[in-house]
Amino acid sequence: MNEVILELKNIHKKFGKNKIHQGINLTLHRGESLGLLGGSGTGKSVLLRSIIGLERIDEGEIFFKNNRIDQLSENKLTPFRIKISYSFQSGALFDSISVFENIAYPLFEHTKFSYSQIKDQVAEMLKLIDLQGKEELMPSDLSGGMQKRVGMARAMILNPEIILYDEPTAGLDPANTLNVVELMLKLKKKGLASIFVTHDIPSAIMLCDRIVVLHEGKIIFNDTPIKFQKSEDPIVRKFVLSSRE
Amino acid sequence: MINHITSKYYRLFKILRSYLISIGEVFDLFFETIQCTFSRPFYFSRLMEQINHIGYGSTSITVVMGVTTGLVMTLNFGYGLAKFGGTLYVPALVSLSLAREMAPLFTSLLVAGRVGSGIAAEIGAMNVTQQVDAIRALGTSPVRTLVVPRFWSLVISLPLLSSLSFGVGILGGMIVCKTEFDIIPGFYLYKVFSTVKFHDYMSGLVKSAVFAGIITILACYKGLKTRDGTKGVGLTTTWVVVTTSILILVTDFFISKIFLIIW
Repeated sequence: MNEVILELKNIHKKFGKNKIHQGINLTLHRGESLGLLGGSGTGKSVLLRSIIGLERIDEGEIFFKNNRIDQLSENKLTPFRIKISYSFQSGALFDSISVFENIAYPLFEHTKFSYSQIKDQVAEMLKLIDLQGKEELMPSDLSGGMQKRVGMARAMILNPEIILYDEPTAGLDPANTLNVVELMLKLKKKGLASIFVTHDIPSAIMLCDRIVVLHEGKIIFNDTPIKFQKSEDPIVRKFVLSSRE
Repeated sequence: MINHITSKYYRLFKILRSYLISIGEVFDLFFETIQCTFSRPFYFSRLMEQINHIGYGSTSITVVMGVTTGLVMTLNFGYGLAKFGGTLYVPALVSLSLAREMAPLFTSLLVAGRVGSGIAAEIGAMNVTQQVDAIRALGTSPVRTLVVPRFWSLVISLPLLSSLSFGVGILGGMIVCKTEFDIIPGFYLYKVFSTVKFHDYMSGLVKSAVFAGIITILACYKGLKTRDGTKGVGLTTTWVVVTTSILILVTDFFISKIFLIIW
């Protein structure tokens, strides 16, 4: 197995009296795709947000390439946020600027590329997400699926080592779901490690090397998609059966 | 009984604690804004964009408000003082009131309504649609990108808007003095310039700059704290307009007092 690039040790998180995570241990290897499944409100998105410091954990440790990152200040997190990018469920595009400016935003912020270099990189990225010629459109002019793909392009533009997908196929029609999954497969082929939070089990089985199931704040399953489909655990079975309906 | 009293005091303590935490966070945001101003990168283009939007965009309402204030004040002072034969004191009274109080105060209250609510709604909407989280996730600071340009644009614009308001207010007063009280413009302007000293004018400018700081920091703070979707955005804007207006009025008294002691 490749080197471990992300490690979560004994993560605890609660909101008020509601315990979300109760001792989560997880590792992600270089180039690996990990599917994170679980019922609504089990803290899948919170776990992703905790990894890049958008939420602070109450207890535990998070390591990126052996560097502890859970206690870092916002400023010190910056280099790690370039290496671990986050693709939001809603896309979270900046609605007052164009598609080009959205995708180019990280390049303007973190690189010293010239405008023409940035333009080339954005054009390349738009080709990858199959949205050539849409540079000048505003986010409100795009469909939900297009917005998600632009969000993913923005997350990808700085060549991160890990990408965290927060329900990228949620609320999309089958054609758009396929577009997003195809894009994720392209990125996987580039050797990018990822954590894929989803309720879309067929996509998770197709994309992921490993599937993790969260239930009541704990990991109850952590194995390959094949073993996931054959699991005898009643909770895991529910997920498997729901995908066959 | 004891339990009831204890729980009542505990609730009170919790409310007080949350207020103190909020005050601390507001000051924290202010200091972070200053810190981000003097460290790289500084978004000059965004500052200019905000000056255009916030400052230049407020000129028309400032002119209307300034002229109206000058007209009404002159009219009231004129007829009030006429009873005692003091019409000639109107230019001095109007100009001094406008320079020290009315122009900065009314302009700031107007801008608190127009700009404060706008900033709070914009940042609040960005927050509930995860755009602020996206700024953080992309390794940039919401304070640097959102707060700093808005803070400095209003700190620069509001004193200029107050000056404009003062200028057009004087003009309004001059029109009423000529038409209602037969005071010729030459005499009016002579009285204005001989009455309003540099420190009177400075008092108004400093007040405007302080009010600008209050408006932007509170609007940005509340915007960044907005939760609960569109309802939350609505509550945020209401809170910002009410709170900044009250704070402007209270702060105005203290700054006036300080300036009267100094000069």
